[in-house]
Formats: sequence, C-alpha cells, structure tokens
Amino acid sequence: MSEHDEQHAHRLRRELPQEVPPPVNPPGDDDAAQPERNGLTGRQRLLKGLWPPRLTRAQLIVALLLFGLGFGLAVQVASNSDSDSALRGARQEDLVRILDELDDRTQRLEDEKQGLEKQRDELENSSDQAEEARKQTLEKERQLGVLAGTVAAQGPGITVTIEDAKGTVEADMLLDAIQELRAAGAEAIQVNGVRVVAGTYLADSGNSVSVDGNKINAPYRFQVIGKPQDLEPALNIPGGVVQTLEKEQATVTVERSSKIVVDALRAAERPDYARSSSQ
Amino acid sequence: MIAVLGLVVGVVAGLLVRPEVPAAVEPYLPIAVVAALDAVFGGLRAMLDGIFDDKVFVVSFLSNVVVAALIVFLGDKLGVGAQLSTGVVVVLGIRIFSNAAAIRRHVFRA
Repeated sequence: MSEHDEQHAHRLRRELPQEVPPPVNPPGDDDAAQPERNGLTGRQRLLKGLWPPRLTRAQLIVALLLFGLGFGLAVQVASNSDSDSALRGARQEDLVRILDELDDRTQRLEDEKQGLEKQRDELENSSDQAEEARKQTLEKERQLGVLAGTVAAQGPGITVTIEDAKGTVEADMLLDAIQELRAAGAEAIQVNGVRVVAGTYLADSGNSVSVDGNKINAPYRFQVIGKPQDLEPALNIPGGVVQTLEKEQATVTVERSSKIVVDALRAAERPDYARSSSQ
Repeated sequence: MIAVLGLVVGVVAGLLVRPEVPAAVEPYLPIAVVAALDAVFGGLRAMLDGIFDDKVFVVSFLSNVVVAALIVFLGDKLGVGAQLSTGVVVVLGIRIFSNAAAIRRHVFRA
C-alpha cells in the first residue's frame, strides 16, 4: 500500500490498542492479536490468517472484493485470448492504421494477381499458338509426305493394268504413262508395290523393268490417286499412252475407283547437298 | 482463508461464465484489474506487517480501481489514452514489485 495508506493504517492502528487491550488478557483465542505486535513474524501471521478460517466481516468483505478481482481477471484473460484478441483492446487510431495497412496490402496483392493473370494469359496464348503451329506443321508434313512417298495415301483414282504377253513393253513406255498421269494431276502413284516419287527412275533390265532399282515384272499395275475423270481420258486420248501400248501388243485396262490405297512407302532421305533456303 | 476462497471462486466463475464485456467498460477493465492487484498486494503486505485494516483495504481497493479507470477515461478524451494507460500500468507495476519485495522479506526473511 502507499505511504498514505500506511499512515492511514498507522492512525487506525494507534486507535486499535485502546479497543483491543481489555479483551486481550481474558480470552485465549485473541492472544494472536497481542503477541503479534510483540514478536510474531509475518509468516506466522500469514499462517494464522489462513488457518483456521474465521468468518468475520473483514474476511467477508475482502473475499467479496477479491471475488470481483478474480472475476475481472478471468474475464479479461478470457476475452484477451479470443481469436480476435489483437484487435479487441486496440485503440481507434491503431485500428485505422491497421485498416490502412490492410488496404495497402490488398491493393498490392491485387496488382500482383493481375500481373500474374496477365502473364498466365500470355503463356496460354503462346502455348495455343505453338499448338496451332505444331498442328499446321504436322498437316504440312502429311501433305508433303504424300508427295515424297513417306506416308500412305488413299483417295479416288484409277487402276491401270498393262498386260505384256509378248515382253514388248519397255521402261520408256512406262515412263510415258507416268508422265501422262502426272500431267493429268496424279497425286500419288505406285507401280507393283513401288512408290513413284519425284526422283524415281525407270530402266530396262533384261525382259523386265526396274523402278528405282526394284525389278518389277508384267503385268504392270499402276495405282494412281487423282481425279478419275481427268486421269482416264488423259491415258485414252488418241495417240496417247493406251494406243501406243496397244500398238506394241500389250493390253491396257483402266478402272476407275472411288478408293485407291497407295501404301507403298519410301524412306525419307536427307538430301546431301540441298538445304532449305528459308532457314 | 475465506478471502483466498473468494479469489479462487471469482476466477473460476469468470472462466465458466465468460460474459461478454460491454464495449463501454472494455478499455478500463485491464487497468482496473491491475489497480485492484496493486491494492491486494498492498493489503497482503499490511497484513504481514500486522497493520491490516479491512476498511482501509476496501477504500484503497475501490479508489484504486476508480482512479485507474478515470485516468484511462481522461486519457482517451485527451487523445493520449494509450500513453497514459501505459504510464498507469508502469506505476502500478512498480508498486506491486515493491510490495512483493516487502512480502518476500516477511515470508522468506530474505
């Protein structure tokens, strides 16, 4: 207690002896009060106050006040340990500052989010574009593969069969036929299982013909993909391939078909010298 | 003994009931609790000194609480509430420490 309180207590204490002394001697119970001042230590006084419990007015009042203190203490501790304890006891200016900081932080995070979303969109776009380019490249590769003979092809076209009973058909006649078909718009050609491409050569080889080094024998069977209405007349024109061959005692049959499969393949070869100039 | 029981019962009741602190009282409760703690330590010291008086205790307890709350209230009105309540807590803390030292000398003689 403060000095003031103590002085207060001193004054009261001076008053007390006048009241207390008379009953001090008779009852044995109250001897605690008398020797207290004489030689009783604080520790003994504390133990005496604690045990035995005495139901006095002073004890009750102090108990009541201490009840209030304990209650307030517990309530404060409980409310302070709530989840939002950090803001409960805060003052208005602190709250305003915290709110400002949160607003700033939200703004910053929002900006960051927008930046990241933009970046994500760009990446998605570019990956879409890359995907599209890849698709186009694949498509182109397939188209070029049909021309280069690296992939199988199918479509409408004609089948030309040249029966050479007398062995009079030579490589140049077959080459004429191929040139005629190409001129008429043939897109994929195979002869007896050999794909005919840009670099194909034909040569006589004894009684038969070799195409790119592969010997083929009569009957020569051309499978040609292209527009049948163009291909067939191109072979049949007067003085054309069919007439020339028939003059050599060969029989030629031309059949239109809505589905010709050209499945003879040729390995893709990397040119030794020529390089694409676009790269 | 009964006083100690009162304190224990108060803590238990506060923990069990968990009343919602009214907003008007909220800023004053912590300061009031510290002030009351100061009064209790003072009372304990007075008891060990053999000069304890219940009337003095009651008056000092209540006046401590009221004055502490008043200071915080005034501080809030003046716009220095945070600093003033810090000051009150520091002063009360110093007093609690000096009282605790006196109590320690009595109980442990050291």
